[in-house]
Amino acid sequence: MKDIREDIAWAQINKDVLKSLENPRRMYWVILFIAIAMVGVAVGCEVYQYTTGLGVANFSNPHVWGLYIATFIFWIGMSHSGTLLSAILHLMHADWRKPIYRFAEAMTTFSLMTAGLFVAVHLGRVWQIYYALPYPNMRQVWPNFQSPLLWDAMAIFTYLSSSILFLYVGMIPDLAICRDNMNPGWRKKLYTALALGWEGTDRQWRNFRVTYLTIACFLIPLAVSVHSIVASDFAMSQQPGWHITSFPPYFVAGALYSGCAAIITLFIILRYVFKFEEYMTMGILKKIVRLTFAIAMVWTYLNLIEYAAVWYGHDQAAKDVLIQKATGPYAPFWWAMNFCGSIVPLIMLFKRFQTHIPMMMAVSILLNLGMWLERWMIVAPTFSHGYYPWTWDHDQWPSLVQWGIVFGSFGWFGLLFMVFCKVFPSVSMYEVKEMVYHRSQATKKLEATGKMAAAGKGAH
Amino acid sequence: MSISTLLENYSEFRHFHPVDDVPHNPYKWAMSIDLDACSGCNACSVACYAENNLPVVGREKYLHGQAMHWMRIERYWDEDGREFPDQGAQFLPMMCQQCEAAPCETVCPVGATNHTPDGINSQIYNRCIGSRYCSANCPYKVRYFNWYDYPTTDNVWPAEMNQQLNPDVTVRGKGVMEKCTFCIQRVTVAKNNAKSEGRLVHDGEVQTACQQACPTSAISFGNLVDPESRVHKQWQVQKVELDKDAQTKDKEEGGSDLRGYRILEELRPYPSVMYLERVRETAI
Amino acid sequence: MNNVFDRRDFLKVLGWGGAAVALSGCGNGSVENGEETVVSYVETNDFMIPSISVYFNSTCAQCDAGCSITGRIREGRVLKVEGNPDSGINRGKTCGLGQAGVQHHYNPDRVREPLLRTGNSGEAITWEKAYALIAEKMNGVSGEEIAFLSGGVSGHLKVLLGNYLDSFGCKNHFVYEAIAPAVVRAANKKSYGVEMPRFNISKAKVVLSFGADFLGAWISPVHFSQQYAQFRKGADGQRGVLVQVESKMTLTGANADRWLVVRPGTEGILALGIINALGSHGVALSGDIAAAVKSYNKDRVSKDTGVSAEQIDKIAALLKTRTPSLVLAGSAAEGYAHGSQNAAAINLLNQVLGNVGKTVEAAEAVPFPQMAPATGNTVALKTLNDGLNAGKYKVLFSYATNPVFTAPGVMKFQDNMAKAGFKVVFSHYMDETAMQADLVLPLDSALEDWGTQVPEYLATCAQINIQQPLMEKLHANTRGMGDILLALIKQRRAEDYKKFDDYYAYLRAAVLQNKGALGGKAIADDDIFWNETLSKGIIKLEGPVKALSSKASVAGLMLPAPVAIDAQYPLQLIPSVNASLRDGRNANQPWLQESPDPLTTIVWDSWVEIHPRKAAELGIVEGDIVEVTSKNGSVKAQAYLFPGIHPDAISIPLGRGHEAMGRYAKGYGVNPFQILDAVFDKETGELALHETRVKVSKTGSRVIVVKDEGPAGGSQMGKKIAARLPSDKVKLSEEI
Repeated sequence: MKDIREDIAWAQINKDVLKSLENPRRMYWVILFIAIAMVGVAVGCEVYQYTTGLGVANFSNPHVWGLYIATFIFWIGMSHSGTLLSAILHLMHADWRKPIYRFAEAMTTFSLMTAGLFVAVHLGRVWQIYYALPYPNMRQVWPNFQSPLLWDAMAIFTYLSSSILFLYVGMIPDLAICRDNMNPGWRKKLYTALALGWEGTDRQWRNFRVTYLTIACFLIPLAVSVHSIVASDFAMSQQPGWHITSFPPYFVAGALYSGCAAIITLFIILRYVFKFEEYMTMGILKKIVRLTFAIAMVWTYLNLIEYAAVWYGHDQAAKDVLIQKATGPYAPFWWAMNFCGSIVPLIMLFKRFQTHIPMMMAVSILLNLGMWLERWMIVAPTFSHGYYPWTWDHDQWPSLVQWGIVFGSFGWFGLLFMVFCKVFPSVSMYEVKEMVYHRSQATKKLEATGKMAAAGKGAH
Repeated sequence: MSISTLLENYSEFRHFHPVDDVPHNPYKWAMSIDLDACSGCNACSVACYAENNLPVVGREKYLHGQAMHWMRIERYWDEDGREFPDQGAQFLPMMCQQCEAAPCETVCPVGATNHTPDGINSQIYNRCIGSRYCSANCPYKVRYFNWYDYPTTDNVWPAEMNQQLNPDVTVRGKGVMEKCTFCIQRVTVAKNNAKSEGRLVHDGEVQTACQQACPTSAISFGNLVDPESRVHKQWQVQKVELDKDAQTKDKEEGGSDLRGYRILEELRPYPSVMYLERVRETAI
Repeated sequence: MNNVFDRRDFLKVLGWGGAAVALSGCGNGSVENGEETVVSYVETNDFMIPSISVYFNSTCAQCDAGCSITGRIREGRVLKVEGNPDSGINRGKTCGLGQAGVQHHYNPDRVREPLLRTGNSGEAITWEKAYALIAEKMNGVSGEEIAFLSGGVSGHLKVLLGNYLDSFGCKNHFVYEAIAPAVVRAANKKSYGVEMPRFNISKAKVVLSFGADFLGAWISPVHFSQQYAQFRKGADGQRGVLVQVESKMTLTGANADRWLVVRPGTEGILALGIINALGSHGVALSGDIAAAVKSYNKDRVSKDTGVSAEQIDKIAALLKTRTPSLVLAGSAAEGYAHGSQNAAAINLLNQVLGNVGKTVEAAEAVPFPQMAPATGNTVALKTLNDGLNAGKYKVLFSYATNPVFTAPGVMKFQDNMAKAGFKVVFSHYMDETAMQADLVLPLDSALEDWGTQVPEYLATCAQINIQQPLMEKLHANTRGMGDILLALIKQRRAEDYKKFDDYYAYLRAAVLQNKGALGGKAIADDDIFWNETLSKGIIKLEGPVKALSSKASVAGLMLPAPVAIDAQYPLQLIPSVNASLRDGRNANQPWLQESPDPLTTIVWDSWVEIHPRKAAELGIVEGDIVEVTSKNGSVKAQAYLFPGIHPDAISIPLGRGHEAMGRYAKGYGVNPFQILDAVFDKETGELALHETRVKVSKTGSRVIVVKDEGPAGGSQMGKKIAARLPSDKVKLSEEI
């Protein structure tokens, strides 16, 4: 099974991809409409919560955090896939990434934006959010540099700006193609401005390559650090169930995991919606699925390590939280998380399911459900069963406002993503061309050596 | 406004508590609560509502765990499976323990909760952005968040009732964290009075609202640095040291016969509240 | 319109309102449109300095214990009350109830105008009209046709009230306090010769309390709490031992070293059993006592009460070895048809132990008997109720009591009250009784009114408490009870009272008249004496002491055998008295509603306490809405599984379940007064509060109990949170 047809003409690639900017399937509009509706729900909930107070989310003492923080981590985690596919695989010369990295990068950017919103939604006084930034001021009032939450804010800000840059830089040659192929109109003006006068000269290509590689190199440690820092929010605190050394790698693995699963989901959606069957092929799907499976196993390992560390550690409170997760009111969710995170990926072992679109769609969604539950199961049970028994509260259930905003965040992400795919080429044209060229060259070479070998054989 | 001033300015106020070199000087406010005297009557809690403008949240919000009692009385039963609690119950007044190495302080992104030079864990309402990380990291869960706008939209103090509000204490709006302050408004007045007379605050000159109300005088409050203060003497007699995460006396064989202990001391928050154990009569 | 606020206007505003101190909150009105008034600090009262608090002494009126308070006043508003350290009763301390006094004062639901009933609604009228109306209704009415119902009154108000009623030749002053220890008073009178001796808890080494919740709601809890603290420390380093005997754990029971659950109503039997056991431990018993307790041997008592024989022995041993001790008969013991007998048996124990004169002492009496507190309970209410039912009364007054809420439902007080011709209720709130009135007269709060009060329980000396306004009146059209009575008495005896412009003048004249007797012999100047008296807030007196009779008598002591379980109504209902809500008069103070019940930590609602074993039998779990049915009705409330109650009893707290009164009281909880059985103490005729028999059934619905306690319940989960040490290890004398 080939990753891509090697005889696609370059003009055909341009035509196929640019077509996605104009007439997607009707499903596109359905998805867009649903996304807008979901955003509407979230906006309604947020307005209510903003005017009334966070109490309507049914937070309490001790449940001061809830789904917002869990979903925040979830979206941060999602953002890791783009970096993985673009940067890590780029450095590793895995060229099958080429048709899909663009949307993965877009996913990174938009999931970070969604995550950022959760910070705002979560805060009691969001109008003072700038206090958390070290802006210069006469009174020497600074944020608290000891706080992991501040590291968080900085890391996310850096990561977001870097990933936007990465997305944009990688898109410049394609924007030039768009510019050159568009009829006059707002789109043409947009692409003209964004293409920054790209003409494809050798010098431009050279500079482009260096820039892209540099950002990629910069982004990888950043991505790892971002989720390590999010993990520090918990690991650096002193609460049972949070104060765990293995949290940073565990969080990074979880992030890559949910990101990969999300790529499968979006892969399948885009493939259908924008008729990208030629580019998002079964061969590539198979590779992502295998990659996802590998990461799933890493995550499972780290997850078990966490349990083991808690179980064999002598911190009774942490142990109680773990027992509480497995047997208390959160048990269904906790077991569902372990099932979705560690058992469901086993389906990916079967070759015939690896390219089975409905099955992979279902699996990828289940994986992400599992990963979302994982974050919730990190945040909530510690509150319900902390150090101080008197304030235990096992029954706090997030209110509809909280659920509405979490639900709407998926719509928000979908909205941004779908609009992006309609406005910008979601498959990298120039890289696909490269890929087709390299692949066809390699095949030719192979065929040539094959012929020679056959000839030689015959000669004997 | 440069980075260098930031760094200077920053490290100047970032002591590591309990301080390795000099203890707080001249004040370190601390408390001791005698559980053998405490009858669990809740007077302290109501007095705290009166003094500190605590909002009454009502039935529905109480149900959702959104009560704002800075001082809560916990009631514990014996856990040996008796059919009747024939040795009574145990009451424990629990409020902010004013930890020296407070878990809440390090995690606040904006530095809204701070250690004052006299050892109180202060909360700056103006600075708070409501991330609630402090509460998440508090082992005692004694921080209370303003989930609603109690003074305005919730109308906790309807006309006339608002006239009772203590002008020395901020009425907190929506979205900020609050907690027991050791009645810092009273402490400040006492300190200022003393300062203007060129002396230090005497023992007993300042009482917290809970201490003042307590019908059994179970609560003592004072300056731990002052060797004449009752609190200092109590801590000394009970051999409870502020900067220990496990008291030397407890390492003695068979444990200690002294009643003083601090709750969750082993987590190293170095709380400033010492409790004196309730006594169980053996003759009956 | 030109809105520029120029300098001249500014000065004008500052100059306004200097004479009349009107106060404003933080509303949205403005000075210009007259909604707010600016108080000038240029011409202010000399005590009023912006941002500086001043303190005035007064007396707490939240209950009748008579604690002296100091109000903190700033910018003319009273902000907080603290205890007055000079008072021997509360020595600078307060309880939660007392703290909430300011919420009574600032309560948004106070009645602000005299209200006259027209049909089903009230019409605001002027005071002149109200007084004229009363005069008109009283015209030609004979003394027998007037009834005045009040709560406990004392001091000059009682004198004035008496004079007013005398002017009609009316003898119908009924004093009704729903939860007053009326039976114990009578029993004390019999045993010791006085109704209210002084109990020296701090001197006792052992306190054996039969259901006296002296740390919670019994008589003078703040005073007893201080005594308790001393008792625990012990005068000579020996920590006092508290043993509590009751069927439902009270706050005091929760603090006991040994809490003994007895079958409801068998407290007296246990007391006699202990006397019997003391006898066998070698305590000399007089012949008649020995004979009386002869049949109360350990096995029988143990069988009757449910307290083990071993425990009875232990108590007897303890009482014998540690002297002096103190035995208290409290509300749990008196609440039965044989309540007087119970209390007598318990008091007998004090006499046998020789505590009379040591820990049970005679208290000084206030040397002005006319000012001594008028006390009473259901007997008075019953008389009134019967009279009302017979249509005897043309005019009914009601003050400081809420019988429609607190009278047992079976008395049908509300219906009978309607039979009175004209009903005047003096009230702070539109409570249940005020709702039935023809004329409601709004009262000043205790923090803005003048008065004197004599506490029933005199802790250290005879004293008269002064109540003085801590701030200007909040509402223009409320009046102090004293002022109202003065106005009413002027309708009758204008000549005698014309020299008193108001109650303040009356009070001042009355105090100064007795200056010598009130400790002012050395002070020549009336003003100085008066001001000193006000600033102290207490007049301490030397009163006559009548020695207690220590002669133990067992004449007429007859305790019935425990009642067999009634198949139809198998459970005993114990209406419990919560320290903050008491009989419900303070239910509209939100701090009290939100202050958790110490034992269950429940807020804002009523609950049915039921023992876990009984609950398991009945299939009840926490939060089940259960219906509690007696012969006289039923109430529905949430169940709370509570280990501190006898399995054959359930308990519902009093004080909640208001149908009127205000936003914080109305609709929260249920009122168990409604379903009480009409069983009365055989000797005194007072209501036997604990004699109601009920059955409990599940209704099928379930709620989450609103309480502070979490799912861990009262468990510390193996952590050292509320720790304890055995008494033989601690050395209290070495502590600070």
